[in-house]
Amino acid sequence: MNIRGKLGSFLITLLMVSLSFMVFDIFLVVSWNMGEVLRKEQENVGIEIFLMDDISEVEAVNLADIISGLEGVRSVYYVSPGEAETVFRADLPEQADLLTLLGPQFHLPASIQIGLYPDYRTSEKVGSLARIVSGMDGVEDVVYGKEYLPGLTRAVDILEKLVILAGLVLAVSISLVVANTVRLAVAKRALTVQIMSIVGAPGWFVRMPFLGEGLLTGIAGSTGSLLLTGAVSWMLMSSVPHEFIPGKWIMLVLILGASSGVAGSWLGMKSGIPKPRS
Amino acid sequence: MMITFQNVSRFYNEWPALESINFQVDQGEFLIISGPSGAGKTTVFRQIWMGDLPSSGVVEVVGFRSDRIRRGDLPLLRRKLGIVFQDFRLLSDRTVYDNVALPLQVIGTSPKAVRRRVFSLLSEMELNHRRGSYPHELSGGEQQRVAIARAMVAHPVILLADEPTGNLDPEVSRRVIDLLIEINRSGTAVILATHDPRQVPAGIARFLYLDRGHLVNPNLWGGYRQL
Repeated sequence: MNIRGKLGSFLITLLMVSLSFMVFDIFLVVSWNMGEVLRKEQENVGIEIFLMDDISEVEAVNLADIISGLEGVRSVYYVSPGEAETVFRADLPEQADLLTLLGPQFHLPASIQIGLYPDYRTSEKVGSLARIVSGMDGVEDVVYGKEYLPGLTRAVDILEKLVILAGLVLAVSISLVVANTVRLAVAKRALTVQIMSIVGAPGWFVRMPFLGEGLLTGIAGSTGSLLLTGAVSWMLMSSVPHEFIPGKWIMLVLILGASSGVAGSWLGMKSGIPKPRS
Repeated sequence: MMITFQNVSRFYNEWPALESINFQVDQGEFLIISGPSGAGKTTVFRQIWMGDLPSSGVVEVVGFRSDRIRRGDLPLLRRKLGIVFQDFRLLSDRTVYDNVALPLQVIGTSPKAVRRRVFSLLSEMELNHRRGSYPHELSGGEQQRVAIARAMVAHPVILLADEPTGNLDPEVSRRVIDLLIEINRSGTAVILATHDPRQVPAGIARFLYLDRGHLVNPNLWGGYRQL
């Protein structure tokens, strides 16, 4: 095979590897964006505690201090009756007259807004924390999105498991396709491997060029797939707003490409290198 | 002894390709292994370059024993051997020069020394004018001479030639056999597998005759007396 033939064969292999990995990349982009929607939704998960009317501001601040020491609590914010009224008027200006009608002796209850660490934003953990704070002195009511939180938690849980499971299946199947593509490309040169071995080339001398080629094909193929997917992502960005996959996931694709390329070369060589019966 | 076969048998799925083979090859000897197709000639060769190992018995080649050899020793053994095949087995994407240079390149010989040795050998083989050609541009005889040059380039102590004239016409075959005789005269042991031992003039070589994996007493073989 001459140089042009070799280059043509290499480019075809590269294209097959790129297209195979593109399926995986698209899956990752879709999964990442679905995850992002759910993650943003989860960021809003928190607990709001309404305090009894007779609790003083000092007692409310003390209560906030106690709550800030609880496991999973990232932040606490005391909302005084005056601030609550300001927020009410700003958020619901069309109902601001209602406060005027109720008279000066009416005031909105003070509250404490609790922010949670990401791991504590599940239905179970929020519920557990809500039960703890609801038993504290001065607490009138606890609100934490009891209705939608179980569904959100389940959706995040299912998506995470689905991404891991489907991602693994897809990664393994695509790695096999890529490994087989590289294996076939290498096996076509079985005679080279065999002759090198017969003329006394050490094992590493025979293997290195093929492993190098597999590594290069895997990395170049997965890079090509990322570029193709990036181009498609960019073209769709205006009609379907979304994010491209993060750096860590890009590294995952490149590592998968490199390892499947090397594995393919290894398997391809096994059919070409004569070895004595053990 | 360069090569010793001690009671060597090789079975493939209980089918005996070789059975209880015993023979020795001395330094600088010319040995012809003859026999019909499927007699086990190629299997004997594979045992010598240890591309395959015996099911029982021991093969010893230039100090390497089949029962003790490690994977890492195989390249060391094969550097002492030159191997020529019936189908030439030249690398189609390399020129004549690169095919012949390969055994020197794999052992890390300097490019200058490779160049000197390859040019010298190609001149001896009357192939210098073809050094930039690819195998498919050569005749069968030229391809086999390139294969012999590749086998000889690293100064092997044993040359294994497995039916080297099988694909060549009688005139070209005679030239290849002459080349092997010349190589043997320079001190290299030559083992030639052929189904037609009459190609080699009488008195030059010792003969072994294989039939269905067994060595046959040459005195019982009619063809031997005709040589």
